[in-house]
Order: sequence, then C-alpha cells, then structure tokens
Amino acid sequence: MSTPNGAPVDTAAPSHADTSITKEGFRISTRKLPILKAGPIDEMTKKLGIAPPEMIFGDNLARIEHAPTGWFIEFNAFDALDRVDKTGESMLKVSYSKEWQQNRQKQFEEIKEVVKPFDWSYSTDYKGTTSTNPAFQPTDTPIPLALLKRPDPIQFFDDVMLYEDELADNGIAMLSCKIRVMPARLLLLVRFFMRLDGVLFRIRDTRVFVEFATGEVIREYTAREEKYEVVRKKLAGTREDVLAIMRDPNPLQEYVPIVEKVLEKVVLK
Amino acid sequence: MSIGGSDLDRAIAQLRACRPIPENQVRELCYKARELLIEEGNVVGVDAPVTICGDIHGQFHDLMELFRVGGDVPDTNYLFMGDFVDRGFYSLESFLLLLCLKVRYPDRITLIRGNHESRQITTVYGFYDECLRKYGSANVWRYCCEVFDYLALGALVTGAATSLTPTDGPIAESIQSMDIPDADCDIEIETLNANGEIMYRYARNSDSHSTAASQTNSNPASSSPLGPTPSNTGPAGTGATSSSNGSSKNETGAVLCVHGGLSPLIDSIDKIRLLDRKQEVPHEGAMCDLLWSDPDEIDGWGLSPRGAGFLFGADIVKHFNHRNDLSLIARAHQLVMEGFKEMFESTIVTVWSAPNYCYRCGNVAAILELGEDGSNAGFVPRSNGERGGGGGGTTASGGGAGGNGRGWVLGSNVGPNGAAIGENRRLSSVLGDGMGRPRDGPGRRYRVFEAAPQDSRGMPAKKPVAEYFL
Repeated sequence: MSTPNGAPVDTAAPSHADTSITKEGFRISTRKLPILKAGPIDEMTKKLGIAPPEMIFGDNLARIEHAPTGWFIEFNAFDALDRVDKTGESMLKVSYSKEWQQNRQKQFEEIKEVVKPFDWSYSTDYKGTTSTNPAFQPTDTPIPLALLKRPDPIQFFDDVMLYEDELADNGIAMLSCKIRVMPARLLLLVRFFMRLDGVLFRIRDTRVFVEFATGEVIREYTAREEKYEVVRKKLAGTREDVLAIMRDPNPLQEYVPIVEKVLEKVVLK
Repeated sequence: MSIGGSDLDRAIAQLRACRPIPENQVRELCYKARELLIEEGNVVGVDAPVTICGDIHGQFHDLMELFRVGGDVPDTNYLFMGDFVDRGFYSLESFLLLLCLKVRYPDRITLIRGNHESRQITTVYGFYDECLRKYGSANVWRYCCEVFDYLALGALVTGAATSLTPTDGPIAESIQSMDIPDADCDIEIETLNANGEIMYRYARNSDSHSTAASQTNSNPASSSPLGPTPSNTGPAGTGATSSSNGSSKNETGAVLCVHGGLSPLIDSIDKIRLLDRKQEVPHEGAMCDLLWSDPDEIDGWGLSPRGAGFLFGADIVKHFNHRNDLSLIARAHQLVMEGFKEMFESTIVTVWSAPNYCYRCGNVAAILELGEDGSNAGFVPRSNGERGGGGGGTTASGGGAGGNGRGWVLGSNVGPNGAAIGENRRLSSVLGDGMGRPRDGPGRRYRVFEAAPQDSRGMPAKKPVAEYFL
C-alpha cells in the first residue's frame, strides 16, 4: 500500500489508527495519523475557504460517545478551523508589520492588496462537535479538581495533535488534545495555544470531565489572553527562563489572565 | 592550531557520527568558512550536474539519509537552499558538518542562506539554546552566526540537461509497469524512491501541442505532479514514436535557487548581485524578500495577511524567468507533504528535505537532481552503488515495455475526463500571450525519502507517556 509518490501510508511518525476504551457505556476513542497530503489539503482548503495551517492533522480525532443515549462529543481539526475568522476582521499583524508597511509604501504603492485575508493565527473558540440531544446547559458546578488530583490509575491515555502553524516564524499556533481515563472518570483537555512574537499570547482550554457512574459530563471553556510585552515584563521580574516559559502554556497560564469562561453540564441517563 | 587536511577529515568523521567538535575547532572552521564564502558572489554560479536540497532544520539523521539516497560528497554535487538549523535536535551537528564539507570540498557543495540563518530567528527557534546546552556558552552560536552573514543569497545553475536519461532502476512494486513511459522517450520528470526504484516518470509530449505536456503538469488546483489518485489517464499523449522535436539535449535556461522567492525590488539577477549581503537578515528590503517570500495562486504581487512579506503569482515568475533566461526557480521555505511541489506550469518548484518534520508531521522529503547538458543526466555512480537503483548510463527499457511514450502516467492530475486539460489550455493561452511560452524546463529527477530510523535520544516517545494533566 502506498501513495502515488511512493510514500508508504505508515510512516515513521508516531501514529496509530484507532484506539479506544469503553467504560460503563462511554466509548472513548482517538485516532492519530500523519499530516494530510496535498490532495486532501486542497479539498479542505476549498471546503473551509481558508488555507489550513502548515501542519494539518486532518485525520486525527478524539471522541467520547455514550452508546445508551447516542450522545457524543468529538474534537477534529476541520470543525475547529471552521470557527476561525475567515473575513480578516480580527486579523493580527506581526510585530514588525508597521515598519515593514512604511518601507513598502514608499517603494510600492501599487502593491496593496492583502491576499486572502483571514485570521492566520488560526485562533478558534472550538469547544468540540457535540450532539444537541441532550444538549449542554449552563451550570455552576465546577469540574471536581480534587477527584482529578488523586493518583488513580490511568487506564487509557493519548495525546493527539490537531493542527500547528509556525506563523511564518513569528511564533506558534497549535491545537492539541490530551485525554486520560481513570476507573471512575475521565478528563479531556483541548488546548489552543498561540504566541505571536512581540504581540500576543492566547491560551484557550476546553476541558471535558465525565463521571461514569452518574453520567455527568461537565464542559469548561477558559480563554486567556495577554499582550506579549506585559507577559515579558512580568517574567523579567522572575528568575525563570523567559524563552522556555513562553514556549510552554502550562507555566505560562499563570501570567496570562482569563478573559472568558463558560461552564456547562449535561447528564446522560 | 589549524583545521586543515587531516584535521578537517577527522572533524568530518566525528560530525558524521553526530558528535560535536570542540569549540576551538568550530572557531577555526568558521574562520576558514568565512574566508571561503567572502569570495563567493551573492549569486553563486553552479554547473550541473547538481542535487538541490531544501530545508534541513537540524534533522541530522535525515541529512545522513539524504546523503545515502543522493550520494555522498564529493561524489555528488550539492546545493543546499538554507534553513540548516532550528526546530530539530541536531542543528549544530548538521550545520557544522555541511560547513566542514564546504571547506573540504568547496566546489562540490554550495550553501545559501535561509531565513533561519539569522541571530534573531535562531534565538527563538532552538539553535541558540542547543549551542548553549552543548557548549555551556554562546560562543559557538556566535561563530556560526558570523558565518551566516557571509552565506550567498542565491545560486544560478547552468548547463542542466533538458531531458533525463532514464534510470534503469527497477519499477517500484506498487506501480504498474505498463504505465511507465518507455525509456526512449524524452523524459522530463522522474520520481524515484529512496531505493532508486521508479515511482513515476513523465515524458514530454512531442506532438503539435508539445509544450502542453509541461502545462498539464501545473494544474494550479493540484500540487506536485503527484496527484492523489493514481488512476489511469486513458489514451493520453500520442503514439510510440513521438520524439520528433529533435535532440533531447535542447538548451535549457538556467535555474535560479533561492530560499524564499522573488522580491518586487528585484527584476534581474544582476540586482541580487548588487546587494550588500554581509549583515543580519533585515526585516524588510530585497534581501529579506529573497529569504521570506512565497509563491501563491494570485495575479501579480500581494501582501501576506500577516502584515509583512510578499506573495507572488505565476505571472511574476514567468516574467522574471523570461527576462532572466531562466527555465526554473527552485526554492525551499515551505513544508510540502510530498517533498516537492511544482507550481505555475513548472516554472517554480518548492523542494523540502526534512522528512517527518519536527519528528511528528509524517511528511516525506525530496531532493532534486539536475543532469548535465549533453551527458547522461548526471547519473553519477553512487558511493553506495548497491543501494542506488541507477548507476551506469544504460538505457535498458527496464519495466517500460508497454508504455510507449504516453504522457502522464502515474498519479496524473489530469483526470480521464480531460476537464483539467481544457482548463490548462485556457490558462496557458492567457499566460502565453506576449511572453512566449516558458522555456523548456530542465529534466528533473526527484528522489523522495522518508525519515531515517532515529536513535532514541531526545526523540518523542512513540507512545505518549500518561500524565496527570489538569
């Protein structure tokens, strides 16, 4: 089995087709495959109306389904990208854009058309593709962190990349998914992380918590955002390795305040 | 102490084993390299045969695989189009090895600058950290950055053959041999896998629509000439004895190699020659554009939505090529899943040489071989002869028996319905006006390869390690 140019389908990339585990009616599955080839990328470009990120794991997914009710929630790259602004209204500019534009205008007034404007930072507020029956309802019940901090055995774990873009060497944008399944519950974290050097940080987390015995599903969306300069100044006062932290959303969270939070719940019976 | 002769060979051996050389040797090497590079123009002249490579990004083991697939230095002439460092785990070993080879065999290897060969970019994307980690100080990084400033901005390959002499390599297993055109045809493109087996071969059509052949190659909606469906193309092309356009050693224009692309400030290669290149890559201007810009399916010039950087369309490339007597622009800079991607009726190609980029993309890599005019398409015997599929200049028709000079054969992006052909004719009739047809491109042999088996040091584990994330 091979593709037209001779690349075998299974490459050296860490990949697997589908893996899954079933717990009390909940089936949790992931799929990890290499980045899309040119053909599927062209198709996706047409369907989306914007150029997909440089590294697009269009076949990958993480999915939780509840067989007794038919309910599901799934995370995939296409649906996430479909929520990226395609108009260019919320378009960011790289840090040296002003300087660049000024010089350009002097020399090339006639070149002023911005090609296919869209939010090239691929910022998405994607909270998953889910069934509306039953649908999530607003709630005050937080995800029970104490239960998740217990070292219960992890029976299923995966780490699935959905897309990544280097923003033409101006930073990074990535959407990735982690999932861990313990005997009584699971936690899934889909994180959008974006650093535009000299401009902005964004961390947008969607957490899905499932308590198997009660059929309780809690979804928490937390968006964080801060200007690059503000974060850099805060970090400069610490003894941390500034560059290393700027690459790692975990320690970085502390320096990037929450701008939006949504808490929802659904009970499956 | 000096790094010359046998010292240099020792350093090469050590680097080939992926072991860094001592700091004082790096300093000496960088000094020698600068002396050499300062003599080179902004646009280095290179004679075919030559093998053109794209981004490496510190993927040392894959660079070794590249040399295995493409032949070793100095048996094969190489031209690397920049982005040696950053992202991968072995930027230091990769760059220093290439630099050692440059100093040892200056006429056999050409290095040009990529946008990552810059102080600013390397501090953000890994090379700086790697130097600090491996030497405990930033000295080595500083020496390397000084070399970056002297790297040429482009290369001009002359004397490339219009047609390839087909390899006598076996047809790859997955390919139906009847679809491969006969070896007697005027071979324009050939794709080989890492074992030298023929994956794909394209013969220039020679009927009255002769150059339409190369035009079908550039369905703008598709990417490389390796379409997604290896369907049969039906009776495309003409009969068996189609090579009626004279010698297959037509003169072809030169090939310009540059990391990123064109600049609106540069309408001739001579203007590149006039730039003052010995500096950090600036944020704007011609030098910046050459290292940063990208081709796109647009008319004329456009601005990147990112707020900096140019995009250029087919008309820009065709006009530039025509004016400068070029048959092709080869560039790197953008990840392409199939390792290479020809655009704009094969007037520009992106070559990408970092397989499984960042150790997780699963893409393949490619290198582009241009043969020597009037020779056997640069089929230099490999140092690892038993692996390379080619060798020798024999033109035994191998598995090509049933092919009889068809045009597109495998993975054609022209569907059996012929719709794409019509589309391309229309396109070419617009583009052809006033500019004449693009020059016949050089014969292009792409060798496609996958990531080398990695040793486990520093590599992401195949299975993710379970963690108690919150």
